[in-house]
Amino acid sequence: MSESEERVALVTGGGKGVGAGVVRVLCGAGIRCCINCHANPAMAEETLRAVREAGGEAFVYQADVSDPAQVEAMVDAVVRRYGRLDILVNNAAMQPNRYIDEYDTASLQRLWSINIGGYWRCAKAAIPHLRQSPLGRIVNMSSVHAKRPTCFDAGYSMTKGAIRMFTRELALELTRDNITVNAITLGGCRIEFKTGHPKWDLKSPKETGNPALRGVNRMVEPVDVGHAILFLCSAEASALTGDCIRIDRGLMLV
Amino acid sequence: MERERIIITDLRTQEARDALAYFDGLGYLAQSVPDDVCLWDEAALGAFAARHAENLVAVIHPAPPLVMCGFEQADEALFAQAGNEGAIAAWCVTKVFGGIFREKHDGAVIYLNSIHAEKPVGRGFLFSMGCGAAQMLAREANQDYGPDGVRTYFVQRGISADDPNGQSDVSPLYFGVDLRYPSRKMPGRGSLNALLGFLVTPDAAPLMGGDLRADGGMTMYYGHRRKVEGREYYERK
Repeated sequence: MSESEERVALVTGGGKGVGAGVVRVLCGAGIRCCINCHANPAMAEETLRAVREAGGEAFVYQADVSDPAQVEAMVDAVVRRYGRLDILVNNAAMQPNRYIDEYDTASLQRLWSINIGGYWRCAKAAIPHLRQSPLGRIVNMSSVHAKRPTCFDAGYSMTKGAIRMFTRELALELTRDNITVNAITLGGCRIEFKTGHPKWDLKSPKETGNPALRGVNRMVEPVDVGHAILFLCSAEASALTGDCIRIDRGLMLV
Repeated sequence: MERERIIITDLRTQEARDALAYFDGLGYLAQSVPDDVCLWDEAALGAFAARHAENLVAVIHPAPPLVMCGFEQADEALFAQAGNEGAIAAWCVTKVFGGIFREKHDGAVIYLNSIHAEKPVGRGFLFSMGCGAAQMLAREANQDYGPDGVRTYFVQRGISADDPNGQSDVSPLYFGVDLRYPSRKMPGRGSLNALLGFLVTPDAAPLMGGDLRADGGMTMYYGHRRKVEGREYYERK
């Protein structure tokens, strides 16, 4: 067995969108995956079907990352099934698209509990197993909105700013365990459902009208994110920790 | 003439208490939010704000005190409390007081935060996450409320000579901290007051939306210099 074929990843929110692209790439490289889903198990099953048709190995586990008991049970299920856990991809999040005034305390606390609390709970449950791995890896899905405001979702931006610091702190704490922790700062990505503001429903960056982007003729695809994460999970990326890799086809440059 | 009012939301840190005394000395009506008003309770904070909106020109929202705890040691209650204090309170203060300033078409919300919005503490994720969230909130508020005349500023304060963290081993960041300043000297107590005094005035409007790092150059400095055989070297502590 190759190094990849022995390894096991847990991808939260892996059933659809960006997470599904990550699962497809990791499984395509021989890494066995747990596809976590919550609200949409049908799409997770569709992702699983595609993985298996391509010769990959995965299973679907439905769990709410805001519930600590469900998170612990999910990590236990991964280790029971595959005997190990090497990679955690924290990706499950929600984006309600609300201005500052449109949130109330309860809705913002709920968002906090999922978008950042979910990352913490999964990391906390996974770390003891990642310590046993020769290539322990945590990748946190962040956003360009950890740096640039969204203009349409203050709460989402706050949680992404928190993830930026979560990644740096966790990277520091896990240095002694040889577990690397990095983040992806993702820009607009083509997925099967809309998350951003309707007026920003672009087909490609060149549609922003900025002359500097005329040559950019397609959006980021979920598999683009998967390829970057596959690299972060490799032995060659061992020196990268506490970092953020921006994937946005240059949109943040203009 | 009625005195202009400044509210400092949380007096648990020394720099917040220093700022209150500073503004009082300048002739402002400087006051804090009472301890029995929860900063993430929108109704309670809103009621307090409504009673004190007259002549209000600025609100200063300090970051909460630093909490040290590792990822694996934190529990659900501590995590929720840190989120409320670091992030949700900042949002609630922004919404409540920003709303008052929107109606007046004038006023400043100043987040008196920390370099730990960018630099990790080491075993300080509960604190740093809140700083990162407040930093993005400040940028969002600049876009959301700025067109209505509300000015927002995010101050990343460093460590001052009287900060108890500066004399502690709470984090390796603070070991030999005085040597980490290019000047070899930590900024003194109250060193941020003049900056805050400027930010509450309309003259500071060109700085709105920016991150104002006020740390004496510490985070951009790799170590203290040492002379060996007549040449200067940088040495990390």
